[in-house]
Order: sequence, then C-alpha cells, then structure tokens
Amino acid sequence: MSAPVEVVLSADSAGQLFNCAVYDPHTGSEFLSYRGGNTSSRSLTILNGEYILGAQLGKNYINVWEIQRKDQLQQKIVCPGIVTCLCASPDGLYVLAGIAEAIYLWEVSTGNLLAILSRHFQDLSCIKFTDDSSHFVSGGKDNLAFIWNLSSVVQLDSSRTPEPRHILSRHSLPITDIHCGLMGPQARVATASLDQTVKVWEISSGEMLLSVLFDVGIMSVTFDPCEYFLFCGGSDGNIFQVSLCSTSLSRDKTFQSDSEGNQVFKGHRNLVTCLSVSMDGTVLLSGSNDETVRMWDVQSKQCIWTINHRGPVTNAAIIPAPANMFLSDSHPAVPLPRFSRHLNPSEQGDGTGTGGMSLRLGANTQEPEGTYLEKAEELYSLMCAVTDKSVFGDGENTKVRVSELEEEVRTLKKINKDLYEFSTQLLTKPN
Amino acid sequence: MSKKRKRQDDFQKTKLKVGKKKPKADNATNVNFRSKSIHLPEQLKHGESGPTTHRHLDIKDLLSQLHHFNSNVKQGALVGLRELLSANPTMVELHASVVLSEVAALFTDKDGSVRAAAVRLLRFVAQCIPSERVAPFFPLLSAHLTCAMTHISEAIQEEALRVLDVLLEHYPGLLSQRHTVLLGNFLELISQRRKSGTGQDKSGKGSYALTVTTNRSVTAQQWRLTVLLRLSNFLQAVVEERPLEEGVSSRIGLGMWAVEKGLVTPVDVTWEEHVNGQGKIQLFENSGAGPTSHSAYRLRPDSKSGAGMDKELCSAETVQGFAATLVPLLLEIWVEAAGGGRVQTDSGHLLSAESMALMFQILSILQLLRRMTPQRDQQDVLDAWFRNSYLTDFKQHFMKNFPYGLLEVARHKKKADGKRIKQPVAAGVVAGSTVEPLAVNVTLCQVMVTLSLRGQDHVAAEDADWLGPIRVFIRETLSNGSKLSSKHLAALLEVVWRMIVTQRSRVVTDELLQAVYVQYQQRNLSVNVRSLLLRFFSQLYIQEHQNHPHIARSRILARWLASLPVQLVQLGSRNPQLSAQLLETVQPAAARGNKDLLQSLQKNACSLYDPQEGCVVVLPVESQKRLVQILHFLPEFPAELLACLSEVCNTGRVSASLATTLIRTVHLRSPLSGCSSASQDVPLKDVDYLSFFFTTLTGFSSDMLRALQDKDEDDLLAASTLSPLSVYTTSLDQFLHHWDVVEVVCHCLDTLGSRAQCFDVIQNAIINNLAGLVVVPDCVCVALLRCVPRLLDVNFLPSDTLLHFLSDCCLSMLSLLLQLEQSARKRDAVWEACFAALSSVPRLLRLVLQSFRVLDLCEDELPVLAQILSLLLQHTQLRNHMMANASFLQHIIQDLTHYYGGESREQWLIDLLYCYSVTLSTHRANMGIRDIY
Repeated sequence: MSAPVEVVLSADSAGQLFNCAVYDPHTGSEFLSYRGGNTSSRSLTILNGEYILGAQLGKNYINVWEIQRKDQLQQKIVCPGIVTCLCASPDGLYVLAGIAEAIYLWEVSTGNLLAILSRHFQDLSCIKFTDDSSHFVSGGKDNLAFIWNLSSVVQLDSSRTPEPRHILSRHSLPITDIHCGLMGPQARVATASLDQTVKVWEISSGEMLLSVLFDVGIMSVTFDPCEYFLFCGGSDGNIFQVSLCSTSLSRDKTFQSDSEGNQVFKGHRNLVTCLSVSMDGTVLLSGSNDETVRMWDVQSKQCIWTINHRGPVTNAAIIPAPANMFLSDSHPAVPLPRFSRHLNPSEQGDGTGTGGMSLRLGANTQEPEGTYLEKAEELYSLMCAVTDKSVFGDGENTKVRVSELEEEVRTLKKINKDLYEFSTQLLTKPN
Repeated sequence: MSKKRKRQDDFQKTKLKVGKKKPKADNATNVNFRSKSIHLPEQLKHGESGPTTHRHLDIKDLLSQLHHFNSNVKQGALVGLRELLSANPTMVELHASVVLSEVAALFTDKDGSVRAAAVRLLRFVAQCIPSERVAPFFPLLSAHLTCAMTHISEAIQEEALRVLDVLLEHYPGLLSQRHTVLLGNFLELISQRRKSGTGQDKSGKGSYALTVTTNRSVTAQQWRLTVLLRLSNFLQAVVEERPLEEGVSSRIGLGMWAVEKGLVTPVDVTWEEHVNGQGKIQLFENSGAGPTSHSAYRLRPDSKSGAGMDKELCSAETVQGFAATLVPLLLEIWVEAAGGGRVQTDSGHLLSAESMALMFQILSILQLLRRMTPQRDQQDVLDAWFRNSYLTDFKQHFMKNFPYGLLEVARHKKKADGKRIKQPVAAGVVAGSTVEPLAVNVTLCQVMVTLSLRGQDHVAAEDADWLGPIRVFIRETLSNGSKLSSKHLAALLEVVWRMIVTQRSRVVTDELLQAVYVQYQQRNLSVNVRSLLLRFFSQLYIQEHQNHPHIARSRILARWLASLPVQLVQLGSRNPQLSAQLLETVQPAAARGNKDLLQSLQKNACSLYDPQEGCVVVLPVESQKRLVQILHFLPEFPAELLACLSEVCNTGRVSASLATTLIRTVHLRSPLSGCSSASQDVPLKDVDYLSFFFTTLTGFSSDMLRALQDKDEDDLLAASTLSPLSVYTTSLDQFLHHWDVVEVVCHCLDTLGSRAQCFDVIQNAIINNLAGLVVVPDCVCVALLRCVPRLLDVNFLPSDTLLHFLSDCCLSMLSLLLQLEQSARKRDAVWEACFAALSSVPRLLRLVLQSFRVLDLCEDELPVLAQILSLLLQHTQLRNHMMANASFLQHIIQDLTHYYGGESREQWLIDLLYCYSVTLSTHRANMGIRDIY
C-alpha cells in the first residue's frame, strides 16, 4: 500500500477505544490508532515526524508515542502542572507547553528547560509556532495574545527577562484559538475569541488588519493555505467562511446565487472545537463537541463524511503523513531524552561566567555525503554530455576534455579491478 | 391772383445778403461749458511697472531706496512697502525672494526705527506666505538672524529677539532645522567665551562665562529672562517638530496616557454585512501576492535601532555637548536669581516674581534638553549623564530652598525714575504672565525625578536626602484638598509615576498612591480631573503591574480597584463616558483575575445587574456589552444574581442579541456545558443553572405569574372549550424578544450531556409551577411548545399531567393563531411551535383531538373548530399523524355532519369535508400502492 500524502489525526476526550487515531481523508476509514489515555484540547502535536506528543487530560504529564507503534512509550514527560496547550516547533528542535499561566520551553536534543515565560495573567488556551520556527504566538484567558521571538527567548542572559515582541490586546474576552499563516515572520495570525470576533494580525508589526464580528462566540479559526478564506467555528455549531479577497478576482464564478446559506457550513450541533484545511484548500475538517468529526467540501459546503467518536472531539487536524507512520520497522533517529522540570542553573552560570557562546545545531541536519556509485554516475553523465557536445562543438577543447575523461575512466577501471580482486579474495578465503 | 400768390408763397426763397452771418440751426449744441478737475490724493495711479503708493513709488523704487544712506528714507521705504503689499496681497509671493532678502539685511541696521520697521514688515510678510513657500529663502533669513544675534551692539541684539519671535510664531519647523547654529547664538547672548588663560584655572566650569554689562537699559536678570524665554520657546519648537520614532511615546502633559494608535487601520466587518454581500473584504490589495508595504519589521532588536543614526541632536552625545555648555550657565543664573534671598536666611525660599519667572524658564529649558533625543535608550543615556555630571550641583542649588514661595512685592518696593519703571513693565509683558509658585515647584520636581535611576537599589540611600522633600511636597499638594488644574495635576501625576517606577520601595509607593487617592476621593471634581486620575490609576495597573511587584502588591491600588464597582453602581447613567472609562479598567482587571476587584464585583453584582436600575440596563449599548462580558470572569453565580440576570434577559431593556450573549455566557460558565476544563471550584451550581434557564424560558417570574391570575378581563382572551387557558396577550416587541431568547435557551439545554435527566427536571418544573395556572401569557405557551419537543428523548415518555397541560397550551395557541393579525413573524413563530409539538411529542395529537367534543360547543365555536381541523389536515407532515388517529377524526366529522344534517351546508363545513376527503383519498392511494408492492 502506498502511503497517502495527507492523513487526518483526531482525538477525543473519552479515550475508550484509543487515545488518537489516523484516518483516510478521502473515505474516513481508520488507518491506525494509538492507545492509552486521552488528550486535552490543542495538545496533540507531531514532533519532527517521529513522535506524537499528547497532553493527558486533567493530569500533569504528556503521553509520548513513537509514530510507528501503537502503544505509547513508558517514558512520560512529567510537567509542573496541568498542560493546557502543547506545540512542537516545525523544525523539531523545541517544544512549548502552556502550564497554568506560564510557557515552558524545552530543547528536544538535550531535554533542558530553557525558559519559563510568565507574562500571562490567566491560563493559556493556545500556542502556535510560525512555519519557520522563528516566532510563536500564545493566547490566554486574560484576553491577551503575545508574539514572541524565539531567539530572544532562548538566549542565555539570565539577567534580562524575555519580553514579547508584540502584545495583542484588542480582544475583550478569552482567546480560544490561534492560527499562524505561512511566510514566517511576515505571516498573518488569526485569533478567535469568545467576544464573538475573529481578528487578523501581522506578526512583523503587531498591527490588527481585520476584525470580523459574529453573532456567537468563536471557538476555532483557521486559514486556507492561500489565505483567501478564513474559517471560523462558532459555539452554535456553525462554521463561517469569510472571504479575505474580492470575489471578482476569481475567474470561475459560480452561477449559484449569493444566498445567506452560502457562507455557512451547517451540520454540527455543538460548538466546533478544531478546524483544519487540506494543503490544496479544497476540503475542510472540523471537530465538535457533538462527538463527530466532519469533512466538508469547501466549494459546495457539503459534508463528505462523518466520523463518530465516543466523546467530545479535542483535536482534529489534516497533517502531511510522516514517512515513519506506516513503516512498522522504522525507528526514530534520535531517542527522546528526559525532559527536566527546572531551569538549569549550572549552564546559565557557566554561560554568564565565561562569556562564551553556545552554538546549537539540529540533530542530523548535515547532508550525508554521496556514495561512490553516485559519483561514478555523475561522472558518466558528464562524460556522455561532453561526448554529445563533441559532435557539434569545436575540436580543440573537446579533445582536451575527452582525454581528461579517458584518464578518469582508466582510474575508475583500476579501482574497480582492485575492488573485484578484494571481493574475490574475501569470498574464496575459507572460514 | 390768389392761385399765383399761393404758388409763390410755396417756393419763397430766403435771400442771403452779403456780409451777414448764417443764422443758427434749431438743434445747435451750446459748447460754452467749463469743466473743473477734482483731486483725490489717496487714489493710486498705475504706472507701467505696476501699482504704486500714494507717493507714486512702485516696488522697484522702494526696494532701491532700502539701500539709501539716509535712515529716514529707508524707514519710509519700509513703510511704503508695507502699504503697497497690504493693498496688493498677490504681490507678496511674486516678490517674496527680493523682499525677504532686503528686509533681512536691515536686521543689523544702525538706526533703531529702521530695524523696528523691518520687523513689522517681516511680521506682515510672515502672515501672508506659508511655511513651504519661505523654505528656499530661509537660509538667508537665518544667516541674517545669526548676524543680528551675535552683533556687538546690544540694541541690535534686542531687535534680533523680536525677529526670532516672529519666526518662532510663523515658521517653527524651518527654524528648528537650524538649531545647531542658533543654539550657539543663544549662548553668545548671555555669555562670552572664556579666555584660554582663565580656562586652565577653572577647569570645572564650562567654556563660557556669564557676561555682566552695565550699559544696558534693563537689568541683567531681566535680559537673561528675556533670552531664556526665547530659548525655551525655541527648544519647544525643536522638540515638537521632531518626528517620534515608533514605540517611544511622549509622556508629557495630558498626552501621557493617550491611547497609542497603530499605523494600520483595521478593517471592521460584521458577519451580517459580509453575508449579505454589502461590503467586500479587501484585506490584501493584491490578494497577498506581495508583502505589506508598510511593514515595520526589523531583524535587529529595538534596543539597537539607534546605533546607526548620527543626526545632529539625535544622539545623546550631541545633546551632552550642548548641555555641558548651557547647564553651568543656567546654574549661575539660578544662583544670581536666588542670591537676593541669601541676605535673609529665614526667608530664603521666598522669591520675587521676576526671579520666579527666571527659575521657571531655567527648569523648562532643562526639561526640553532631556527631550531632545527621541529614542528611549538615548533618553536613558542622557538621564544617566545628567545624573553623573550635575546631580551634586542640582542638589546644592535647586533643592536647598525647595519648595519655593512668592515674595511679597511691597517689601522690596524701591524708588525708581520714570525710565526704569517702563522697562520692568516691558519685561513683564515679555514674560507672558506671572508664573505661579506651584508651576515652579512642579517643574522642579519633574526635572529632579528624571535623575533618579531605574532599578538600582544601592543608590536609593544617596537619593533619599533630595527625594524626601519632593515626596513631602507632592503629598502635601495632593492631600491638602485644594482644587488643582488639569495641567498641574498631569505634571504631578507624571512625577508620581516616575517615582513609583524607579523607587522599588513599597513604603514610598503606598505613601504616594495614598496622596493621589486622597485627591481622587474628593467631591465635585471636574470631569477632566476625574478622567485624568482615573487614567493614571488604570494605566498604572495595566502597564506596570507585571514588571514591578511592589506596585502589584500595593494596598492603595487594591483598594482603588475594589472601589470601582461601587462607583459604577453609584454613578448609574449620570455620566456614561465616565462609566465607560471605569468599565475599560474593570474588564482587563477582571480578565487578569485580580482578587480585590473580583470580590468587589461579586459583592456588587446584584446592584450592577439589577433589572430595574442597574448599570446593565441604564448605560449605552457598548457599556452594556462590556458588562455582559465581565460576567465571564465573575468567581461565582449565586441564586439571587441569576434571578437578576434572568429578569434582565426577559425585560426588553437590553437588546435580544445582548440577552442571548448573556445566556450563552452563563451556559459557558456552567460545568454542565462540558467545554470548560476540570476546575476545582464550581462557579455555577446545577440547581441554580437549571433554575435560571427555566425562569428565562418562561419569561415571567413566579410573582408576576401569580399576579396575572387576578388580572381583569380586558387584556385576556376569554377561556372557552376550544381555548382552555386564558391567554394574556403580550406586545409584539416583547413576544419577538422572548422568542429569540427561547431559541438560545433551547439550544443551550439541547447541548447538555444527559438529556433524559434534563428533560425530567424541566418536566417537573413545568408541572409544579405552570400546570396549575389559569391565566398564562402567550409567550410562555409558545416557549413550552418550542422547548419540550427539542428536549424530548426517544426513550423517555412524558407524564400525563405534562401532556394535558401541553394539550391545553396547544389548543389555546391554535385558537390564538386564527385571531392573530398583527405580525407575520409572530404567526410563523406560533405555528412553528405548535407544529413541532404536535409532530414530535407522542400522544399529544390524540389528546388534542380527544378534547374536540362537538356536542359541548356552541354555535359560534364550530367554525373555529373546523378551521383548526382544516389547518391541521392541510399540513403534509401532520397527515400521517392525523391518519394514525383516524377514528377520532372520523368521529368528530360525523358529529359535525349530524349536527348540521338538516340545514344547508355552511362554507366552512364544505371546506372541511373537502380537506378530509382529499386526505382520505391520498392515504388510501398510498395504502393501495403499498399493497401492490
């Protein structure tokens, strides 16, 4: 079976059959599931395509699964409090957890707790990284959202408290969801709130670009990848679609009349807790407290299929399928270390005392060197290209090039002969 | 004979004799008149080169006369130019370059009358030409101004200050661009460069020394006051023309707590507008293809943004270089101004009005020097430099006799001749107005407080000796009960803010906040002062709460926060703007979980949300919305508060959308809704929650329903067999409002976890509270008919008492439906509710049909019955239910037919029989088709 490009990952709060499960986005059939416990809202995340992290509902630890195994690891990440939101950076280097009013930042390669950010006044409700992992946005129940620069947070200077880059303070009720667009620091952020508004901000300047006022409180929000549409899940079960560009720009204008139902996805009976759009922007996934996950067609507003869960859906997302998910014999490249629960004072002391610079690289980010056969292939293709060129090119330079290549071929043949003799000798030797 | 004479008379010819004149014609004109000329001296004649003055001089002549050796001719030329330009305003811009050049050259003329006329002409020209038109000629003007300011003659220097006044008034921007040259000129006016020999001896002093001249017409003190006043105005122009960098807000005066507005204007969209297609959202002008052009994104942090800038007077070093020269001179002037009090030690703090004005200018200049740098880190560097360089001098001179008072003028009144009397009056006029002692003291506090450093506790002991008098002064000024103006209060609050932020001491914080709180608690404050104090406390809490623990733990601040809900209750609807400001503080503090505020809110919640005269019903819509949102942060909801909220929802004094928002908020706070995380404390008990929803569903409280039973008959529909209940008809607005509320209540109850138990509770509530009533409002009936089908579970069977009551409600509503002519929406609502009940609730239709007893009806009620039956039969979805009860239906039809068997058929009976036969035939056809299959 060939691996699908995208999969649906969802979790509910009942946790009777499984903790979270993976479904086919086209048919809604179940591929595989992960067992043990249940996951709270906005707390299910993929770490570097190799692990699944899910914060246990009502407890102070994070469940960990290797992505190719159904049973979770014995190693749990024990946290200082109940985790209300969890996010891993897209490059797989950092993990952010919202615990009560503080944001905890861990380094994945060493498990060190790098920073504890206590700027929110109430519990955090959601936290998101940008797609290049340079910034992250945190929203809480105190109506505030902060945009943090990751490089200023992980610096080793302990004398200065990290400050958020921007403070978004235009909401008047708790923030329920945050969605970061693409383009890294130039991205746009959408925040949903119980004050019945969805606001669009700019990460670079902290300015508010758009504010849409609805009739009900908005529980979830997402962009499509082109950022043409804004999908807002309301507390009454409706999903609202806001067009962020003029419809006259679209070439294929549908002949459907602009009725009132054209902009609303109707079907859920309770508040919509999670929304996700596929990469091509044609289907929309929604999870709700009415214990269903639905897939919608964006163009026609029809529900394609429905998955019935045993409890309110806490996480539902369309993700690109990790490569290790369907290979049962694969293993993570780096084992997950033990995550510390306190700030490391010795490292900060060393950093402050010596004045040195700590340089961190991602694990296994260096490209592996090409093999010998690949080099031979490259040389052979280059030789063929030059041979083809010699038919049409000038004779003098071509001759020099051909002689060089012939010398190279002789060297390769000699090496090949030596390898052959060595192999023959090794095989014929009696053990 | 007669014939011949007649012909001769006709052709008679006049004979002209030689030598005699020709006689005059009858129409000849007499040309012997004499004309006289009238001379108008003031009338201007236009020569070939343009208009002229009354002395027949055009502009070329006047400009050439400006170079005349005779001063009278030059003065006359200037007066003539002013006359000519005032008569022809269009010529001002035509000849601006040559006029400005010639006038500027006369700033340094020998004769005083010529210079005065030049200044008057410059003032007139400055009023006509805007700033951008003068910009090309301003280098020449400023060059001549520099020559005049640095002239060796004192009279020319005095005239130069008047030229400076004109330019400061009309062209402050152009003048501030020349600050590097002109600031040096101010130094030359009051001092001269020290000789190199004496420079070695006094290395501590600056490179300039104060000049003492004895040949001026005014005293040295008055002259310095005149110069410093203009220096202050000039620095003010330089500071105001400087564009502020992003993130650095000016915190001076009333703008201290102004709301910072962003660069981008956000797009505000309402969902209804977007759905109806009224406004297209044009968020990205090129659909996001290009990045935002006005993005302020910088890769470097904000603290290094000023590293690459080397503009003049932008960096701290440049300001330090200028201040290093100016501040010693200011200190010397201060010593001389305060020197009069040195003779009498006991009254050293008393100053004359002139010394008071001089000191005020010195302090203003020191303030403006600090604000030269627009960036915050440069300001901090400058403050640190001021502290290191001049803190000792400032303590020695400024704080020795602090606070200062006004000396009585009668004590030092001296004899003076007529010439000296005029000059002090002129100096007073130049000073603008008499400076109050309070202004001097407040400005001195502002200057000194900027020298205290942030967050360094080891220097607190050093600063105690001079911060103590400032603190005492502020406390006494704020606590003595006198009415302060907005300007002085803003300055004092700025000093308090700075001291609280820099002094990390809890005792100091509480002391200062206590003084401000005393001012806040005064009665009869003006709205401006009240708003100013309110914004001070609000910004102190919101901005500095996280960074400074001693502010967060301040008891005065906690007491002030706790008093805000009490003020809201007392204020009511008297001042909506002040209430809006209070709410703007209450809501963020509630969102941050401030304990004192939440306790006070909890205590005053029933008063705030009182349905009769609480803030939630008397304030404007925006404040009402904020109050509803504050409900989200209340710690708990007691039963009496829920009763108030239920009544707020039911009366029409808040809008339907706001009532629905309130209901959803209560729903979210309940643990039954299931969307809140597991928390230990439960803000809303289940019993109170269901009681709130039931009361909101019915729309009437128990007392109101009990009072309705004794109501007289004029508002009621009479009870009859077809209408078992007496229906109290509510108004259309009340009905529609309640219909929206019922929709939301049904949705909230529908989403609860266990529907069977929920329905059981609602059923018991209906049976206990409503089933025994005789008079029922129509909105209550519709609400019950709407609610019961949605909550009914498949496995649950309602009780007989509830079914009977619902049957009565349904019959009454069907009777009411036939009489309704008010609104189509009300008819649709009533019919929708009845239809939902009849089609969803089992056995309800059977009970309704069973209550149709034809023999008990009088003749007037039979058409109503027939119409009801026709209405039920015409509905497609109800036909199956009607056919399921075919025996009852047939029985009713037979009774009706027998009753009217002998007489001629009525129209309503014919219609009913037609509907019945159509239904029967359709039903039988379906049965036949099923049998075939």
